[in-house]
Amino acid sequence: MGYSIEVYLIQAMHGLVYGMLLFLVTSGLTLVFGMMGVLNLAHACFYMLGAYFAYTITLHLGSFWWSLLICPLIVGALGIFIERFLLRKAYKGGHLLQLLLTFGLFFIITELVRLIWGSSPLSVPPPKIFAGDITVAGMTYPTYRLFIFGFSFLVLFAMTLLLMRTRIGIIIRAAVLDADMVEVLGSNVPKVFMSVFGGGAALAGVAGVIAAPFLSIYLGMGNEVLLDCFVVIVVGGFGSLLGAFIASLMIGELQSFGILWIPRLALVFQFLLMAVVFIVRPTGLFGEKE
Amino acid sequence: MSRFWRRQLRWIIAGMVLLLLPHFLPEIRVHLAIEILVFALFAVGFNLVFGYGGQLPFGHAALFGVGGYGTALILNHYPQTPLLLVLLIAALLGFLAAIVIGFFCVRLTGAYFALTSLAFQMFLYAVALKWRTLTNGDDGMGVTRPAVHLPVFGSISLANITNIYYFILILVALGILACYLFLKTPLGNSVITVREKDTRASFLGYNVFLTKLTVFSASGILVGLAGGLFVLYEEFVATTCIDNNMSMTPVLMTVIGGPGHFLGPVLGATFYMILQDWISSVTSYWMVLMGFVFIAIVLYAEGGLINLLKMENIRGWLHRGGK
Repeated sequence: MGYSIEVYLIQAMHGLVYGMLLFLVTSGLTLVFGMMGVLNLAHACFYMLGAYFAYTITLHLGSFWWSLLICPLIVGALGIFIERFLLRKAYKGGHLLQLLLTFGLFFIITELVRLIWGSSPLSVPPPKIFAGDITVAGMTYPTYRLFIFGFSFLVLFAMTLLLMRTRIGIIIRAAVLDADMVEVLGSNVPKVFMSVFGGGAALAGVAGVIAAPFLSIYLGMGNEVLLDCFVVIVVGGFGSLLGAFIASLMIGELQSFGILWIPRLALVFQFLLMAVVFIVRPTGLFGEKE
Repeated sequence: MSRFWRRQLRWIIAGMVLLLLPHFLPEIRVHLAIEILVFALFAVGFNLVFGYGGQLPFGHAALFGVGGYGTALILNHYPQTPLLLVLLIAALLGFLAAIVIGFFCVRLTGAYFALTSLAFQMFLYAVALKWRTLTNGDDGMGVTRPAVHLPVFGSISLANITNIYYFILILVALGILACYLFLKTPLGNSVITVREKDTRASFLGYNVFLTKLTVFSASGILVGLAGGLFVLYEEFVATTCIDNNMSMTPVLMTVIGGPGHFLGPVLGATFYMILQDWISSVTSYWMVLMGFVFIAIVLYAEGGLINLLKMENIRGWLHRGGK
């Protein structure tokens, strides 16, 4: 384990970057889970679609920035469509119905992606300004990763402002606690559901776009991020955004250092963490309800 | 003809058809029939947990793969082992893996159960992929199909298609029959009691955890055997036996066929394999089509195809099983 301090710092930075990315995906999932009680398996597809759309748009319009602007809109619209015409039927059904339905969606979207983009991995070049490396105090670090960190931080900041300081944010937070009560008090809860779902999908799409130049684009990416998200939700606790944030960073660091120390068993660490949380605190670090 | 025999008539006919199948079907269709049989066993085993236990496992390929890899490794390293013993070990491995996985999963419900079982499967997939010295990674391993030695019939070669068909037919039929009989026991009934309302069942004195674990591990026996038969028939094992697609297959089959009926998964496996065989020769859209069939059935025909065949038997299992 004789690594220099620089290696540790860089690895910690990698973990932070992946953690932020993971949080962008998980935040929508957590909010939807908190509000509607539906664990949307298809959510990871929005992330995957974001990345694939980024590939096509960057290829045709020639600029990464266009895809960062357009993809979230497309993915968000798709999310709204899915909520309105499919998931709404499932709220009254049991957990099994919701799981099966979102599983079916996951399956169809993955297969459609396979048909449209093929099964071989794709890649997107990072935008020119962020293509190089930056050297700080003797350490070189890819600029693009710093961009991911900064950009996710901005999105996170905007989202916190929206949730904490606006009226719609108050309604959303109240609906997480008790959707029926909010509806009785006169808010149009189905509409709030729909917009939160669309917003969550768009956020996952954003994560997909900014992940595209950083990780390669492949069919299994949805599956992989789905499991990571699930671990985040279990560790962070049901419907808790703060929990999801902290858990995302934990998973990011855990993966990053896992790969450094024991590359073969990197996958095991997060499941170990999950198992420990299951045993010690089944509601998750910040969860209150089961 | 007495009433009993008239009732059993359709089973007798079905049995006759299955027995005569290799004599009037071309060889390529017999291959399809063998695959249907293996996946029918897989889906029936899966449905023990899903339809009867009321929980949705997303990682059943773990058990299938354990049986499959176990069979391949024994056949490759100890070729002298009698084939029936090898398959027994495959079933046993499925059983043991199910006890371990079930121990962690069955306390959970809903999405927690589904995704935790998926996590185990992903983990075993990673092991099969990375432990190259044992499993040869994603290149997979070839397996030689040995002859089977029976007490009365002597040694029978399984190299020709008719023999392997009968061999697999008999084992699958025995597996499915054993599953049916298991569900008729008081233990099998308690599985349904626990599914309906586990708190009430525990007040009545049932051990909910143990019942759920039992049904999960019983499922492991069937699925492990199915994995063993699959590898024996394919004469090949690779990570495709234990990957996510393999986990999704029984979910699709069972939901399409109808989880509320004992034979629903068998119908689903038949429909799925025939549709796959038929459409994939025409277009590559077949998985998407299967997905749409799946969603249509989840939304509009809760009991699956078997209920469409038998309209008076709509049981609304989802409303009961889902709660």
